[in-house]
Amino acid sequence: MDFLRPNTFAEALALKAEQPDAVPIAGGTDVMVELNFDHRRPPALLDLTRIAELREWSAVDGKLRVGSGVPYARIIEQLGGQLPGLAMASRTVGSPQIRNRGTVGGNLGAASPAGDTHPVLLAGDAVIEAASARGTRMIPAAEFYLGVKRNALEPDELIAAVHLNAAPGPEQFAKVGTRNAMVIAVCSFAIALHPAEKRVGAAVGSAAPTPRHATAAEEFLAGELDWDAPKPLLDSVKRRFGELVAEAASPIDDVRGSAAYRKHALAVLARRTLGWAWQDHLGKETRECA
Amino acid sequence: MTSVGTPVPRVDGLLKATGTARYTADIPFEDLTHAVLLQATIARGRIASIDASAAEAAPGVLLVLTHLNAPRLPRMRAFAKGGSAQQTVPALQDDRVRFAGETVAFVVAESQEQARYAAMLISVEYDEEPPAVGLHGDAYPPAKVNGQPPDYRRGDAERALADAAVTVERTYRTPVHHHNPIEPPVTIASWDDDGGLTVHEAAQGGVHMMRLGFAEALGIPRRKAGSIRVVSKFLGGGFGGKGFMWPRNILPAVAARLLGRPVKLELTRAQMYTSGGYRSETVQRLRLGADRDGRLGSIVHESTSTGSDMGEFPEPCAQITQMLYACPNVTGTHRLVRQNVGVPTFTRAPGEGPGSFALESALDELAGELSLDPLELRLRNYAETDPEHDRPWSSKGLRECYSEGAERFGWSARNPEPGSMRDGRWLVGYGMATAAYSSHTWPTFARVRIRADGTAVVRCATTDIGTGTYTVMAQVAADALGVRPGDVTFEAGDTRYPFAFPPVSSSGARSIGPAVRAAALAVRTRVARLAVKDRESPLFGADAATVRAIGGGRLARADDPERYDTFVDVLERAGLGHVEERKGYGVMPFLHSTASGIAPWPVGPLLRVATRPFAGRYSTYDFGAQFVEVRVDPDLGVVRVSRVVGVYDIGRVLNPRTARNQAVGGITWGIGMALMERTTTHPRLGKYTSPNLSGYLLPTNADVPDIDVHFLDRPDPLVNPLGVKGVGELPVVGVAAAIANAVHHATGKRVRSLPIGPAELLG
Ligand SMILES: Cc1cc2nc3c(=O)[nH]c(=O)nc-3n(C[C@H](O)[C@H](O)[C@H](O)COP(=O)(O)OP(=O)(O)OC[C@H]3O[C@@H](n4cnc5c(N)ncnc54)[C@H](O)[C@@H]3O)c2cc1C
Repeated sequence: MDFLRPNTFAEALALKAEQPDAVPIAGGTDVMVELNFDHRRPPALLDLTRIAELREWSAVDGKLRVGSGVPYARIIEQLGGQLPGLAMASRTVGSPQIRNRGTVGGNLGAASPAGDTHPVLLAGDAVIEAASARGTRMIPAAEFYLGVKRNALEPDELIAAVHLNAAPGPEQFAKVGTRNAMVIAVCSFAIALHPAEKRVGAAVGSAAPTPRHATAAEEFLAGELDWDAPKPLLDSVKRRFGELVAEAASPIDDVRGSAAYRKHALAVLARRTLGWAWQDHLGKETRECA
Repeated sequence: MTSVGTPVPRVDGLLKATGTARYTADIPFEDLTHAVLLQATIARGRIASIDASAAEAAPGVLLVLTHLNAPRLPRMRAFAKGGSAQQTVPALQDDRVRFAGETVAFVVAESQEQARYAAMLISVEYDEEPPAVGLHGDAYPPAKVNGQPPDYRRGDAERALADAAVTVERTYRTPVHHHNPIEPPVTIASWDDDGGLTVHEAAQGGVHMMRLGFAEALGIPRRKAGSIRVVSKFLGGGFGGKGFMWPRNILPAVAARLLGRPVKLELTRAQMYTSGGYRSETVQRLRLGADRDGRLGSIVHESTSTGSDMGEFPEPCAQITQMLYACPNVTGTHRLVRQNVGVPTFTRAPGEGPGSFALESALDELAGELSLDPLELRLRNYAETDPEHDRPWSSKGLRECYSEGAERFGWSARNPEPGSMRDGRWLVGYGMATAAYSSHTWPTFARVRIRADGTAVVRCATTDIGTGTYTVMAQVAADALGVRPGDVTFEAGDTRYPFAFPPVSSSGARSIGPAVRAAALAVRTRVARLAVKDRESPLFGADAATVRAIGGGRLARADDPERYDTFVDVLERAGLGHVEERKGYGVMPFLHSTASGIAPWPVGPLLRVATRPFAGRYSTYDFGAQFVEVRVDPDLGVVRVSRVVGVYDIGRVLNPRTARNQAVGGITWGIGMALMERTTTHPRLGKYTSPNLSGYLLPTNADVPDIDVHFLDRPDPLVNPLGVKGVGELPVVGVAAAIANAVHHATGKRVRSLPIGPAELLG
């Protein structure tokens, strides 16, 4: 097996074009597990860790570009204020060691339905910057996940960065696991309020072949929430929202939980996180009015 | 100034924390070869064909053993019959496959990678037969359970049940558990030119027991077993999974003999699930009968666990029921159901672990029936004497454990109504359970040497399985000699040292401690004898027997502590490099004569003696009380353990730091058992579905709350001269039941099948 170690992103793209079956490796927290279990045996590994530009993030006019190689630990430390949802999800990933190594780019590359950042990226309208020697294209998160562990990247493409707006409103992420840390989600849910646009982003994880938007739930809320004169939410609204989120899922039974439990738990997470996010929004509104 | 009882830090702590402790796998060897196991992918059937030619031709490959070419190996004597094995059937002897994961080939190559690669080139075809999976088949009684008959009866429990005013009849289930120590088992075997064998092992099994096992497996007569040396210096956890001779221990020695080179086998994590036993799943039916005041008139505890064609280890669940409460009519039975899943073995708190889950849950259910406080129910059935053997306890501080635990925990704040206590959206529940464990005293010898520079070295063939033996035994020797613990080195884990039984069944402190103490006192007396005969000594003319150790390596006259001599001076004047004594403790007469470690291995009688210490005059047990608070998310069915208080009577506490470590670890085991640990077996294929730490969930730091551990620290006056009982397993016992009881208190839902998951709580 070849181990390719480009120093620049351009070099990496050239190598990937030459050898499309080379498997990129960032933190390696998914790749090494797969190699260890002999789930795959690629002809080459393409090590991205020497590429400084992938490990950088920048903010211009409230628009963030987060390099695909920024590890979770730094997202938590440095981006918690601007990307609270992503930071929340990052905090629940693995252990300190995994958060030091693991990256959002890797989460996207693996495209596991259970990856923790996916619902947040969907709810926050993230756009994935995919690059190849041929050029760069921008893929909305909603179009990125194609199937179980399949994404929209072409064989010669690498993920350069993820683009997100600094949270325009409150964001929440919640995950149910079979223990309190180091755990793959039984199911997860993210919500992002977009007050200026008077709409809500909502997405489910680990509850369908891909992470996905809860579109009906989003539309329902857009119609129900009174953004101009916000008031406490009716229980009936939270309940209906929860039901619609659960309906968006098409989970399976597995060792971590049954399909029925996943639907039930998603409804609970949706109700709760909506409550917290709206409460947050109310708090802000009152503070701003006062 | 005594060191025993003080929290001396681990002497090997720095080594371990800095990664410089040399574990078995770290030992460098010249000319080392590497082995891997190829394991059966079916649970039952025959090997129709096995073709190793491609593997044999692969780069670096030195040897491929299959049933077609492996040397003939004998059946091993079972541990329960005085041997060293749980799986008595040796590997690679025929074409039968008896469980998934049984070794079908053993590949040795220059590197581990080459061996792994070659193993993948072996093609095996199987004639598959449907395996027996689950505890569904016909149940049969095992020959023995922990050396006792499978059935126990006192009084007439069935009749008393029929007459009881209140009865509870329930069935409880516990799943397969694996030991999952952090260090995978490793064996490195090398033969020297004279036919001597040295084996470096990650061995909990006691180096002497393994030596005899190697002799048996390799056809070396017992009288020549001295040519086998087994070494095990550090262990990354064992918990029973490194306790016996398994084929994985034997094959490297077989291959090393054929190759004339050292062979190393290190298991993968997945192979650990099939190569060293496990805790059987259990189904336990409990029937309790009581009067309206809660006095138990009858208990019937029927336990079923896994049987195997390859060996027998019934999980001794009902044994705790036989001794825990004052109840005139008790029946305990153990049955097995044959499965194609390999042989189970001891796992931390064998029997008491799952057994207490059933018994202590059932007691909680009875308390509910009677509207009686669960703690009060236990007090009403307090056994003042051992009801099983009808004799006094050597010591029993359980009543104090209950009261101290209840006080620390705030048990009186418990509202008896299930579902009545809340903290925000969380339902809060309190639960408790009794803990008891029959730790043992095993025959152990120690040699203590005081050297001319006043430092001492203690040698004993036990292994420190991570519990702190190196530290604590230095403390014991230091006090007996009257020197600082830093001046004593405890050396262990080598058959060249005096015989010790495997450190199993919480026996370490109570078996090794008295032997070390006796040897140290003997050394001291010998030095005193030298001094009192020496005209230049301030002790000249004193009675050696009354000479006292006053610390700092000084020996003083009983009547005048100002007149003292020192080890250094006495030895120097006598021109001696060192003075040495060897002593044994807990030693059977028949072992005494052959204590070189090549002794016969009469485990059967040992077990009998050990369960009846003090020549049958007293019973000795470790006791404790577990109190648990849980928080249950009523919408998600998620359980969090938010507080644990454990109060234990383990006799004298030799070192509160290492003892607390055992208690916190044990309680954490209980949390894992209650909420997450489970190995699942495919119901049709008979294979474990996720033999790894991603599928087998262990508690993380975030799952373990602050744990309040308290020891009564009351020396047991009868058990041994140190007054120490056992601590390794006791803190596991009852925790799962206390958690299940707390969950019931929080939610009103009774979960009788572990682990407790959301499905049960929401359903
Ligand atoms: C013990 C443990 C616990 C874990 N816990 C969690 C958890 O709680 N939640 C969770 O979501 N995940 C978890 N994971 C999975 C893993 O840590 C995450 O998916 C992580 O985000 C992967 O990032 P990485 O940088 O390590 O990716 P890598 O392993 O390096 O790569 C993952 C995949 O992405 C591809 N890839 C990486 N970078 C790029 C790129 N720039 N362009 C194109 N493709 C790329 C790789 O080829 C590979 O297919 C855990 C893993 C372990 C081992």
